[in-house]
Amino acid sequence: MQTRRPMSLARHMMGALAAAAVFVLPGAALAAEAAQSLKLQVNGMVCSFCAQGIEKRLKALPAAGPIFIDLRNKVVAVEPLPGQSLDAQKVASEVREAGYEVVATETVAQTVAQIRAETRAARQGR
Amino acid sequence: MNPLLRPGALRRCAFAALCGALSAAAPGAFALPMASEGSWMTMGDFNSAGERDLAVNHAVTGRDAFGLMATRWKEPVLHAGLHEQHHEREAAGLTYTRLLHRWNLPHAQANLWFVGSVGRAWGHGWAGDRSYVSPAVMADYETTRLYLGAGFEPKRGSGLRHDSTWVRAGFSFYEVDYEQVQPWFVIESKRVRYANATRDEVTPMLRLIHRGLFVELGRNREGTQFNFMWAY
Repeated sequence: MQTRRPMSLARHMMGALAAAAVFVLPGAALAAEAAQSLKLQVNGMVCSFCAQGIEKRLKALPAAGPIFIDLRNKVVAVEPLPGQSLDAQKVASEVREAGYEVVATETVAQTVAQIRAETRAARQGR
Repeated sequence: MNPLLRPGALRRCAFAALCGALSAAAPGAFALPMASEGSWMTMGDFNSAGERDLAVNHAVTGRDAFGLMATRWKEPVLHAGLHEQHHEREAAGLTYTRLLHRWNLPHAQANLWFVGSVGRAWGHGWAGDRSYVSPAVMADYETTRLYLGAGFEPKRGSGLRHDSTWVRAGFSFYEVDYEQVQPWFVIESKRVRYANATRDEVTPMLRLIHRGLFVELGRNREGTQFNFMWAY
């Protein structure tokens, strides 16, 4: 009996690791997958009044989460709320309806917070 | 008789109070005279000499806004060739703002606007109210660092002429993030033609913009100038 206890403990540890591999790691992968944002290049967005109109329309989208507006580079980034997705065409349409021209749309594997930090870091590096 | 009890005075007071309560104004020399669809814009121009414009409008589409305005101005009266006195005039009316065209460029935006207004005007030296009509056009070009604008706003009625023409140019001291306050230096040259006189003024101003709020503070021969716009 005494020799079987360490084996039992090892089995339990292996089981726990296996469970982590099965249940936790895919969850982390899903979280990473959810950390996607839409980035739009917007012509004509040169002032905070312009940006405010765009922000207001995007905030009204049910799936829209954090938004970042980079006036210098004319970029709008929007991240979906957890568990939701954004329709890129719908987002671009909202920006056009606000009166601006969308010249490029891309999905990036970053959160809006990461895009904001990256943009500021690039600016400070110049 | 109490002057406020005169029929015309009462009507004028009620109209002015309504416009004032709604923060009403002449959409004079503003950069973007309307906000985005579904939003409100309140604008005001005030100077220490007693002239003022107030306006509010609501954007029913991305290109159309309807609103109210109220304005007060001082019209120079020529006497022996000298501007020795002035008549105070007031007007209040309805406005319609239309974005005629917008050019969205990679690093700039340009706009052509129509701002029409109809209403009533009254003031010293006039017997009673009179209607006015004001079809104004404005154009602007803006980048994150440069601003150019021009406009022509005629206001005409029986015995009334108040035609404003202005050009504006400015630059921002530096670029900012959307969340930050951006300071600008703007200079405005304005000519106002009245029925019997012309007035020119040049106003250098400091402009601060933060999200939907825009304020300008300047000074000219007439006194201190304060302008604001608030989009919400």
